[in-house]
Amino acid sequence: MTNLAMWARLKSPWVIHFNSGACNGCDIEIVALLTPKYDVERFGIKLEPSPRHADVLLVTGSVTKQCTDRLKRIYDQMPQPKFVVAIGACACSGGIFQGTYGVEGGVDKVLPVNAYIPGCPPRPEAIIDGVVKLLNALAASTKKAPKAASKEEPALNAEIEVTEEVKPDAKQ
Amino acid sequence: MPNNSIDIIRILETKLCGKPVQIIPGQLGIVTVKASVEGYRDIFKVLIEADEKTAISAITGIDLGANIGVFYHVRTSNPLLTIQVEVPKENTTLRTISDIAPSAALHELEVTDLLGVTFEGNPSTGHLVLPETWPDGIYPLRKDVNANEVKLNPEPPEEKSDEGKLVKIIIGPQHPALLEPEKFAVFVEGETVRKVEPRIGYVHRGIEKASESRTYIQDVYLVERICGICNSCHATGFVETVEKILKTEVPERGKYLRTIILEVNRLHSHLLTLGHAGLEIGYEVLFQYFWRDREPIMDITEMLTGNRVISSSLTVGGVRRDIKDNDIPKIRAVLGDLRKRIPFYTQVYRDEPSIRARMQNVGILKRDIALKLGVVGPVARGSGVNIDVRKDEPYEAYGEIPFKVITKDAGDTWARMNVRMDEIEESINIIEYALDNLPPGPFRVKVPRAVPSGEAVNRVEAPRGELFYYVKSNGTTMPERVKVRTPTFANIPAFLTTAIGEPLADVPPNFVSLDPCFSCTDR
Repeated sequence: MTNLAMWARLKSPWVIHFNSGACNGCDIEIVALLTPKYDVERFGIKLEPSPRHADVLLVTGSVTKQCTDRLKRIYDQMPQPKFVVAIGACACSGGIFQGTYGVEGGVDKVLPVNAYIPGCPPRPEAIIDGVVKLLNALAASTKKAPKAASKEEPALNAEIEVTEEVKPDAKQ
Repeated sequence: MPNNSIDIIRILETKLCGKPVQIIPGQLGIVTVKASVEGYRDIFKVLIEADEKTAISAITGIDLGANIGVFYHVRTSNPLLTIQVEVPKENTTLRTISDIAPSAALHELEVTDLLGVTFEGNPSTGHLVLPETWPDGIYPLRKDVNANEVKLNPEPPEEKSDEGKLVKIIIGPQHPALLEPEKFAVFVEGETVRKVEPRIGYVHRGIEKASESRTYIQDVYLVERICGICNSCHATGFVETVEKILKTEVPERGKYLRTIILEVNRLHSHLLTLGHAGLEIGYEVLFQYFWRDREPIMDITEMLTGNRVISSSLTVGGVRRDIKDNDIPKIRAVLGDLRKRIPFYTQVYRDEPSIRARMQNVGILKRDIALKLGVVGPVARGSGVNIDVRKDEPYEAYGEIPFKVITKDAGDTWARMNVRMDEIEESINIIEYALDNLPPGPFRVKVPRAVPSGEAVNRVEAPRGELFYYVKSNGTTMPERVKVRTPTFANIPAFLTTAIGEPLADVPPNFVSLDPCFSCTDR
């Protein structure tokens, strides 16, 4: 049963998007992912409105003081195993807003982060690449330890960092 | 036609003769009026009687050492006035002007929140942008406060609604229809909305304070990130204000290139909103269509500036890169393709029964209410108020480029969306005209790093409406105070007014017709 769930998760990860204090730059790029040019739904990636149905939490923006508690609550509502992807320079480290009085810092100050996608904002191709790398790492970890998806701990501790700039695919 | 025949300064001089008011034309944008704590309310009364377009553009609070300055920036048909009042830090109390000019209520609350000036008689209470758990008595924009070390209070328990028969429905902070974390408590009786309570500030990062500890060049990048959608407008607003203090004249080519970037920005923002409105009313095909046609515009932005979204292309003294000659035909081709699509979209927005059913007669904002609330941009123009900073106070190359200001009289959601629809064609015309008449020569001048002491205000027409900037410099490489008033901040009262008495299901289309942007509002 666990294997079946993991297979489904790899083939069609459901993602939820939360803006924890972004400038909308990364957010419109995430929405652009759903539109005809990039169309991530063909890979089975589905944007899910409710945290209770989601596998992956996409966080954009530096975490503001007022959002910290909300972000934790959304993470707590997600079922295990769950993964967090920090999208954009602000989510990775606080970015340009680091040190301002309204900002707590990057997402990793609040939640365990599985993948970081830098960029201001990252191109849609980079976001796709980041999520695919997360899935690959997930697949690799499943092969090593088939029962990794325990209820207490997140299955994946491998942290992936997408550092190289992804070349835009002109024929997309 | 903007009514330029009203001579505001003459009227002020005649009516306020003998009162302790000092009128200084020429400084701080256009006209500065120094007023006493007793006399400032009279000025607003005179202005509102004299000119129906009088509205509060912004209220800037500023720490002046022993005193706190409260600068009321008042928009009239012509010109923009700044009324300065000072209060001592020991007794920071002023009378509200929200009874005379209702548009001032939110602006006053922001000054209370960030600088601790109390406005007696202002109906709004609580925090505006700071968290509810923010400790009392700490005002982050005061110079002697280190707001980074503030410890927040513990979260208070959820309040029980005491609204009697009304049912409280909370939308947000995480909600499928909201791209941004904001909370709206909608009180309904049956299906009808009776009250809306907004809770903004989830995206409040403290950019105004942060800009005081960064250099002018760093600030350009910082203010661009107030909003990723209208980033070029924020950059223009800031650099133009700094150029006014520096008395720098940008070369003609630089002005035209800025105009092109600004209009491309408007195109992408309007296409985004028109598509998003489709999504909100359950018309997902329209959303996909608009966003498909938006992608080539993003490619143009990349061609012009090097980036898809945040352009980082403007700088003090001009633009950072020139347009490439072989890119111009590509840009023309994209604009030509979009122009061919417009008749189809216009027809959809005008005639499609599902759009008319969901948008017509929804959220009607009448002209007199729109003037009273001081709304800006497509929201005002959809209610028949002819205001557009590009025409009223031309900046960059807009004075030389012919274009129409689109207005509609209906004042409903449908009119507001159709204003945006028609503005797309005007933007294409502006870009094509600018490309045809692109002057040769340099596109940038060198400017000193340190800016001499001075202050200036500036207005820009962002896709969502009038964007206001105030910068005060102190002779160093860092500004003393940067104040930003974004268009959504001015438009929120329109939503709070029009949503009342309508069905709950009409809240999303009504709300999205303001094109709300909360990262702008919260800063």
